[in-house]
Amino acid sequence: MAGAKLTRADLMSAFWRHLFMIQCGWNYERMQNCGYCYMMLPILKKTRPDPEDFKEAFQTNLNFFNTNPFVGGPLIFGAHIALEEAGASLETTEGLKVGLMGPLAGVGDTLLWALYNSIIFSIGSVMALQGNILGPILTWLLVLIPYFAVRYWQFFWSYRQGANMIAQLGSGAIGRLTEAATLVGLIVVGGFAPSIVSLKTPLKWVRDVTIRGETVTQTISIQENLDAIMPYLLPVLVTGLAYYLLKKGWNPVRVIVVLLVIGFLGGALGIFG
Amino acid sequence: MNIVMGLILGAWAYYCVYDMLGPTFVMSFRPLLAGFGAGILVGDIQTGMQVGATLELMGLGVYTYGGATIPDYTVGAILGTYFGKTHGFETGLALAIPAALLLTQVDILNRFLNFIFAHRADRYAAEGDVKGFERMMVLFSHVIWGLSRGLPVFLAVAFGEGLVKAVSAFFEANPWFNKGLSVTGGILPALGFGMLLKIMPVEKYPAFLLLGFVLYAYLKIPLVGIALAAIAVALIYQQLKYRAKEA
Repeated sequence: MAGAKLTRADLMSAFWRHLFMIQCGWNYERMQNCGYCYMMLPILKKTRPDPEDFKEAFQTNLNFFNTNPFVGGPLIFGAHIALEEAGASLETTEGLKVGLMGPLAGVGDTLLWALYNSIIFSIGSVMALQGNILGPILTWLLVLIPYFAVRYWQFFWSYRQGANMIAQLGSGAIGRLTEAATLVGLIVVGGFAPSIVSLKTPLKWVRDVTIRGETVTQTISIQENLDAIMPYLLPVLVTGLAYYLLKKGWNPVRVIVVLLVIGFLGGALGIFG
Repeated sequence: MNIVMGLILGAWAYYCVYDMLGPTFVMSFRPLLAGFGAGILVGDIQTGMQVGATLELMGLGVYTYGGATIPDYTVGAILGTYFGKTHGFETGLALAIPAALLLTQVDILNRFLNFIFAHRADRYAAEGDVKGFERMMVLFSHVIWGLSRGLPVFLAVAFGEGLVKAVSAFFEANPWFNKGLSVTGGILPALGFGMLLKIMPVEKYPAFLLLGFVLYAYLKIPLVGIALAAIAVALIYQQLKYRAKEA
């Protein structure tokens, strides 16, 4: 069965639905399933005129789905719509969704959260702390325009590529882009972590030494000695601790409690500050 | 007056959540922009920016990867801005952190309760009821999530003044408490970086992380400079790596 030809209006309808609702109804059980199905309905109504056929597709599109809705997600949506228009079976389109949502979520999370947002939000925050109102405004503009453009572009690019997109993904181009993004992200995080995480100790070690018969009181700052070993040693250690605990499978909220105890007791007792 | 402001800020919290679920025109679930928006609404942009930016730097890199629950700095920033306006920045911030942590419990509850939508959707699909499903999506699918943040903000703003006064008096009487909080604020970003590192292949490419650290800690290069250098290094790495294949 060859599906009906989709019009520009159908595509725009799906695009707006994805834009406004993709994560609405997000639940532990099937995550983004409701938003996904809502986006696909205008398409399915066109491609599946038979009521029973439509009902089956309606139900199938409520299966588990979760990915990064900004980078990666729209590629899946566009390709799925193209396959649907070409009359692909539900097995094929489900395979596309399940096969791509994991890897593309990894790409999106790295590119957006680790790289792009870290940069725009830290710059905006530093400006805001100086009392500069342009800080948050700049950050907002760098959200509004690129986040819209990148979703629009991926959605329609991948629709035009259709089944081709999967071949493109297989060709390694996306793999190379991911690798490059990951490397940039790692370098940036390596620099960001010590610039943002701050931990210092005011402790001093005071001792009396006798030099040529005279008693001199020497004060040795622990912090200066730590800096001589390696700058930002304490921030590196505490970041390493957080990473280690998360890697062990701790959830973020438990890790925060540990950080709160260290920071609060350390600060209140004067060990850190 | 408190009730009106509670409704306004509660509505802003609701929008911040909805913005994350859908359009992301503002990305106001990030504390910088949640606080900035709250600052505009309460008429104290400076406090909004200070509270929002401080929480933003604490929560840099903290995102809900795969739907994990994280501290709710969004609500923290809104409440911190509101109470910071009258009681000062320090008190606002000191309230924001516990509020952010308390709300994590609400987040888990809300994500759980949303199963209602998945199950109702199944029913609509079985009946082929497109209209019913679409009505549920447009009108209700964001309500549990939105209220889970909007309601606590409303209650805290409308009725929390007495409690906040007591807390603020306690802070003034106990300076050590503030010292503890400020050190905590300094190390909380470690969580965000830990989470970022966890989703990145650190063990496969440790040298790149080290390079970034050296550029900042020893060479004192500003962050945008590090980002540009990082792009250069990644391009060089790939040119060398794939040269053999392309030649």
